[in-house]
Amino acid sequence: MTSHYRLPEREGEIIDRSARLDFTWNGRNYSGFSGDTIASALAASGVEVFSRGMKYHRRRGILSADHWDPNLIVQVGDEPNVRAGHRRLVAGMHVSAQNVWPSLRFDLGSLNQIVGRFLSAGFYYKTFMRPQFLWPLYQKVLSRFAPGGRIHWDTSSHGLYDKRYAHPDVLVAGGGPAGMAAALGAADAGATVMLVEHEHQLGGHLLWGRDGERTRAAELGASVRSHPSIETLVNSTVTGRYDHNWISVLDRSHPVAPERLIRARVGSLVVAPGLLERPYVFAGNDLPGVMLSGAVRRLINLWAVKPGQRAVVLSANSQGDEALDDLRDAGVEIVAALDARIGETIVAAQGRRRVRKVTLGDGRTVSADLVVVATGWTAPTSLLNMAGDRPVYDPVAARYFPVSLPSEVLATGGIVGDGGTEELVAHGTSTGLLAANRALRLRHARRSALTRTHSPDRPAPDEMPDNRSPLPRVPHPECYRSTTHGMVDLSEDVSSKDLIQAAGEGFDSIELMKRYTTVTMGSAQGKLETVNAAAILAESNGVPLADIGTTVWRPPFSPVTLGALAGRIHEPIRRSALQDWHEAHGASPLLAGVWVRPDHYGDAQSEAENVRSNAGLIDVTPLGKLDLRGPDVPKLLELVYVNRWQKLEIGRVRYGAMVAEDGVVSDDGVTGRLGSDHWLMTTTSSGAGAIWEILEDWLQTAHPEWDVHVTPVTGGLTSINVAGPKSRTLLERVVTGVDLSPEAFPYFNVRQGTVATVENCIIWRIGFTGELSYELHVPSGFALHVWETLLEVGADLGVAPFGVEAQRILRLEKGHYIVGQDTDGLTKAPSAGLGGLVKLDKPDTLGLPELRAAYDRDDLPVLVGLQPVDGSIVPAEACQIVAEDSNEILGRITSSRMSPTLGRSVCLGQVHPGLATPGTVVTVLLVDGTRIPVTVMEHHAHVDPEGARQRV
Amino acid sequence: MSELEFASPVTVDPLAAPGGALTLADAGATTKVLVRAGSETAAATRLSVPFGQSREFDDRTLVCGTRPDEWTLYAAPGVAPEVIKSIPEQGFVTVIDITHGRAMIRISGPCSTLALAKVCNIDFADDMVPDGAVFSAAVAGVSCDLVRNDQAEGRSYLLTCERSFGRYLFVALADAGTEFGLNPPEGWTLH
Repeated sequence: MTSHYRLPEREGEIIDRSARLDFTWNGRNYSGFSGDTIASALAASGVEVFSRGMKYHRRRGILSADHWDPNLIVQVGDEPNVRAGHRRLVAGMHVSAQNVWPSLRFDLGSLNQIVGRFLSAGFYYKTFMRPQFLWPLYQKVLSRFAPGGRIHWDTSSHGLYDKRYAHPDVLVAGGGPAGMAAALGAADAGATVMLVEHEHQLGGHLLWGRDGERTRAAELGASVRSHPSIETLVNSTVTGRYDHNWISVLDRSHPVAPERLIRARVGSLVVAPGLLERPYVFAGNDLPGVMLSGAVRRLINLWAVKPGQRAVVLSANSQGDEALDDLRDAGVEIVAALDARIGETIVAAQGRRRVRKVTLGDGRTVSADLVVVATGWTAPTSLLNMAGDRPVYDPVAARYFPVSLPSEVLATGGIVGDGGTEELVAHGTSTGLLAANRALRLRHARRSALTRTHSPDRPAPDEMPDNRSPLPRVPHPECYRSTTHGMVDLSEDVSSKDLIQAAGEGFDSIELMKRYTTVTMGSAQGKLETVNAAAILAESNGVPLADIGTTVWRPPFSPVTLGALAGRIHEPIRRSALQDWHEAHGASPLLAGVWVRPDHYGDAQSEAENVRSNAGLIDVTPLGKLDLRGPDVPKLLELVYVNRWQKLEIGRVRYGAMVAEDGVVSDDGVTGRLGSDHWLMTTTSSGAGAIWEILEDWLQTAHPEWDVHVTPVTGGLTSINVAGPKSRTLLERVVTGVDLSPEAFPYFNVRQGTVATVENCIIWRIGFTGELSYELHVPSGFALHVWETLLEVGADLGVAPFGVEAQRILRLEKGHYIVGQDTDGLTKAPSAGLGGLVKLDKPDTLGLPELRAAYDRDDLPVLVGLQPVDGSIVPAEACQIVAEDSNEILGRITSSRMSPTLGRSVCLGQVHPGLATPGTVVTVLLVDGTRIPVTVMEHHAHVDPEGARQRV
Repeated sequence: MSELEFASPVTVDPLAAPGGALTLADAGATTKVLVRAGSETAAATRLSVPFGQSREFDDRTLVCGTRPDEWTLYAAPGVAPEVIKSIPEQGFVTVIDITHGRAMIRISGPCSTLALAKVCNIDFADDMVPDGAVFSAAVAGVSCDLVRNDQAEGRSYLLTCERSFGRYLFVALADAGTEFGLNPPEGWTLH
């Protein structure tokens, strides 16, 4: 499609006319130039309607021609909610209108205009609250009308997002004249600076200004870009300011990812976002052809687009006056030039597809296709709000100004006052110097405090007083609403009538009104409509605008995609030294906490049977292991374990259980005494980190006088459990320096020796499977050698690896409980079956008072072995144990498996103490609702309760 | 046992970006010895390097003050017995060979700081982390000890973490380095 509205080449335009870009809009072919936004390219091709309003589906055209334009939200390919006023055109783009059906031109949603008077503020609350039972239906129907584009789950072409950290001394939000000057001022003072500009170029309003302004912008931009201490990010947004100057920046300009979230810890934040132009409220102000003065200036001067043919201009400031000049220069006929400073105004705009007639304040009606308003500014104080400021309205300048800022946050530019380019530059420079001074003083203090840095060779800079000359505040008429009603929030289709009605219904504070009417809650997020909404509320309440206050702006400053928030996801995974081997031999991976483990190698039942008949190897490296050294280790163990440790001899190991202060079982494991002052403690896999912290906590806070050093060695020692009746025979082939005979190395003992030529291995004889069993702890760098050697030399013995699932079967057959599975956050020691292990007569143990109280009770649940009467049924873990004739809960199944040894199902479960007597038949409620009888067994162990197999 | 080859959790060849902007290499076999000793002990007197700093001794052992009253000594592969022997035993002193318990990765080159800044929230500016600086930090979610240990070729950092995290850490660093030209092999990528 040819370009009807593209102006001849102009000074300062940012399009490259030699680079034509073809794209489609609602399925039709269009073209634009490199440098165009989607909106400017379409406008240059004569497109007038870009979207439909959210509620009434009225036609909408360009309003502000920037990121905040609520009428320029479009779908690009599979990406919804793209801001066509900001997004640069790319060849091949498929752009379409969103929230319309069947098309933008013929949108059935526009029928809402007919019933519009019933869709006023609070319509949904009033209409759909009764009858309550229909709400699910309402919800379903209403969700179909929700605005927004289409997400294509399967075809996302965005690839990976990204994140990074940054630590600039000074971060400047805003690359206009004041922002650039602040960056240069700070950098010249020795600070490192990050300058973040929301638009695609530095320069701010100077870019679409007069020749001298553009030249100045270019000069400042060149200085910024050539400064070695300034990192410049364009097309990037400072989205939030959090405590201690933790700043989030959304970088859309880096080739590594479509969006990158930068998390910056900065010394000083300089807020220099300039000003946003606010619309004027009058009848028909949402018609295509009604534009802000900044929009027409950008269209004409940046993209050489003629915004209309016959214009009415309402100006209350110099920007409006300059827009008038630009329009004339672009060949637009000025039908009426109205000066709001002398009370002239617009009453209404009329038209169907676009403005056709305009009624003026003096009663005249003129024919025009363009209405340009320049009626005032909104100070985007969001970042200052986030720093704790509550800006105050100044009726003379007709906008809000910051009041009090923390020392590490400074503001400059239009947000704090008016002025010509050089005034803004001067204020920016002095603000940058001040920001640098504060940041460098902070940096000096940090350097002085850190042990890893060299002491600064210079003293901290002297504190610089804030003697900046304030920017003046130019008087500006208060132009908010004409004598007619119009749209206030074009994102949400909230009119001035709606606001006045809401105030009349009692929602007469700005925060209540916002939530009732949804004003400021749309895509513009208050940037265009907040001040008008407050002004109309003030008008309705009959109070000065300054008394109304504003809604609180919170992060993010502009929308952030979920992809950017996710970024690259870092979820650490722990792997044992044998994991590669497991994977290479067909192990099914099991993610257990942060560890990846072999669940099974194909058939867990067979693996378990092999352990019972021959011998098996399992990698149990995740077992937490802590090396304890020092003469006071026994005291520490006495403190944290419920049983005794003082008399454990060298070469012996002992099972220990831990409870928290509330008496709840928190961890368990085996600890062995390797030498006089040398112990090795094991913990549960998931508890290793927490137990280390608990030990250090007690040592450092309660008993710093004890000589104990705790060193985690979990990953350094690869742990291999060799289990099965042939395990001793297997080890006799590879272990040297240790007598493995049952007399010399009985159950619950530990030895140190050489395994498969690897020295310094720790071998303890314990069992979790109920079989003769040894646990080898070998230096991880040689673990694979040991593992492969064991398999090789044990081939004739039937030695094979087994996985976690087989281990769980075997331990359940043996009746060994698992902390966290057979216990829960309420399980005290008596309920875990710890029985006589707990020594209540010890002088002190963590949780001892609660333990004593628990052992005095007779109402605590009891852990018991359970067997379904029908041995073919395996009740799912967590199935409830209920009363025979009701669903009263009397316990639960904590573990269950099919036992290959017994050929039937076996369980552990927590039951009410009244049901714990062996032989009692309890009722288990299965997942499908059926109830089955289950027998309480005499022992936890279903196989070899006497322990004969493991003590050979 | 000396014939056995130490198996590191990182089993790929070093990665290098074109032009040497960034290199990433396993250093897992480096001898690593942990020493904990009170300030009044002979061991503390011998090691003497302050917490937060490092120094290479005459025998090429890099002594790092990793925490108060704690040092980590890095030396050539296979010399743990000699390093341990060099620490005086007087007083309450713990000396443990942690070679097998820690993965070690070296990241070097002019872009190493930028790559680290993608996974670690530490200000790596020269004045905040000078050559020789020792500190702990989370890197891609893994608790690590870091040493800035510049080499003749320029800027370089040593990272150590619990061995079982080693492969993940290498993968995460390689992923961070793709922006600067690293090209990790199949199976060694994060996503």
